Amino acid sequence: MADPAAPVRVAACGCITPFGDAAATHAALLRGECALRPVPVLGREGGDAVPLALLPGRSLDETTPPDWVAAIASLRRSIPAGDWGSAGLPVFVTGSNFGVGGLYALRRTGNPSFADWSALPTCTERVRTELGWGPDVSIVSHACVSAHLGLLLATRVISEGLADGALVLSFDFLSPFVAGGFHALKILNADFPSPYRVRDSGAIGLGDGAGFAVLGRGSGDWILSGQSVFNEMHHFTANRSDGSGFARCLGTVASAARGRRVWFKGHGTGTLEAGQLEVGAAARAFPEAPIVGWKGSLGHTLGSCGLVELAIAVESVRAGRTPGTIGGAGRAMADTVALESFGNGSFDGVVCASNAFGGAHAAFLLCHA
Amino acid sequence: MLERHIQALITDDPGTETPAAGRERLKGHFPAGATRRMTTLGLMVGSALAELDPGEDDAIVYASSYAESRALESFLDSFPAPSPTLFQTSIHPSAVQQLLIGRQAAVRELLPLSGGALFAFHALRAAILSPAPRVLLCGGEERGTWLLDHGLASERTFAFAVSLRRERQSGALGLMRLVRAAGSGELGLGAWFDLLHARSPFTGLVAPGWRMEIEWL
Repeated sequence: MADPAAPVRVAACGCITPFGDAAATHAALLRGECALRPVPVLGREGGDAVPLALLPGRSLDETTPPDWVAAIASLRRSIPAGDWGSAGLPVFVTGSNFGVGGLYALRRTGNPSFADWSALPTCTERVRTELGWGPDVSIVSHACVSAHLGLLLATRVISEGLADGALVLSFDFLSPFVAGGFHALKILNADFPSPYRVRDSGAIGLGDGAGFAVLGRGSGDWILSGQSVFNEMHHFTANRSDGSGFARCLGTVASAARGRRVWFKGHGTGTLEAGQLEVGAAARAFPEAPIVGWKGSLGHTLGSCGLVELAIAVESVRAGRTPGTIGGAGRAMADTVALESFGNGSFDGVVCASNAFGGAHAAFLLCHA
Repeated sequence: MLERHIQALITDDPGTETPAAGRERLKGHFPAGATRRMTTLGLMVGSALAELDPGEDDAIVYASSYAESRALESFLDSFPAPSPTLFQTSIHPSAVQQLLIGRQAAVRELLPLSGGALFAFHALRAAILSPAPRVLLCGGEERGTWLLDHGLASERTFAFAVSLRRERQSGALGLMRLVRAAGSGELGLGAWFDLLHARSPFTGLVAPGWRMEIEWL
């Protein structure tokens, strides 16, 4: 029986991106490859070409049943076997936009079969059935910090002895709904993202992504600690200009990381002001830490980004090399921004951070057990 | 013990009230002009939550299966020229954000959940496990229109907000508790809301291996 005082560990994790699994994605990032391609923002209905990173062979247009189900099924093969969805092994499904592609297709085509995989509870129930899970499946949706909240809730359930382990699964696959929404906000445009670089205007890319983490007490090579969240509630799509929201979130993680040499996996979507605030806050909280962001290659995988990038961070530590910040040209916003890959053998921790609408911030410290 | 004391409870069950009538009824809870872009659910959850005066150290657990159904419908209707405002408003925890952004009121922990048959269990579990001294558990639904025709929105409109504390304080209204138990059961958000609204005592299985107990003083 697992020691009830032992820290919660990551027993397994993985992801799927347009490059493949975590190992393939890590390798592609080390090679400096970019998965983003110009795609009409409304798919078959056209519109401006914007940078999107779609899984190979997948169209932005929804199918019925959705073609992304195959990606989830593929990811499932990496998840350790267990009675997932039972009282002892609950599941937390997280994401910001799952099911909305079906809603868009339903509205545009009138085909009622799109309803089967649409809306959060309906879509999750279909995924639950498809993967053969039991009924104990929670749904967490807080935009782009959703995966972090799933990890937080799973950690608490295990820490309090309510479960032996927990599975957190996060996925977001692109659709005209999401691409059109970000395009309407003008931050998804014809420009490709250049996270943490000085340029005249900001731009993001979006990407397909899914990830998972299995948490438990008994085994696992990785420990999550200092899990922290903070919600500024300043503006729907902007942060306080003094960076206080970033600082409030990172303070808890800095305490957990005291005495460690860490590198910082940032959110880094490619927006200018948020990038500058994040780089500044990271440098103040972790003065020696190089900061990297991978959304200039993968695009922003939205609610799944916390788990997708956790899996790549773990792969980076395993491989001993951290991919640099990919995307564009020009000088970095600060000396701490690592544009090139670096050996991470002398580090003993990774800070993983994500941000979201509403000035939501989330971060944790990842360490080898 | 997996239990929390109910220190305050606000419920709103407007029946068949139209969105326009609801807006008129609730607009006094918000600064003049603030309600123009608020959703029905934002007005209702915001009004209920505002009465509990949320602060930065509170944790907020937000429970809604379908959230901003009307904003979602309108956003989908706005294509091929999608509305940026409706895109923002259709995000799942928007109902809580509409109140708190209006107030410029930061909160450390916001846990927005969706759910189905086990939603009451999942929401109460999240609330009980939060280390915050006070947890504000709020939520609700708004009746959809064309999404409802496809079973993708709520049939009814309602909202609630509950103040939960670890220690019983004066004025406590009751208690909610989770207890391990043999067997299985379900309790969705609407049925849970009805129990709270009527202040009905309850003991029943709400998930595999879990019983919920609600006691009123």
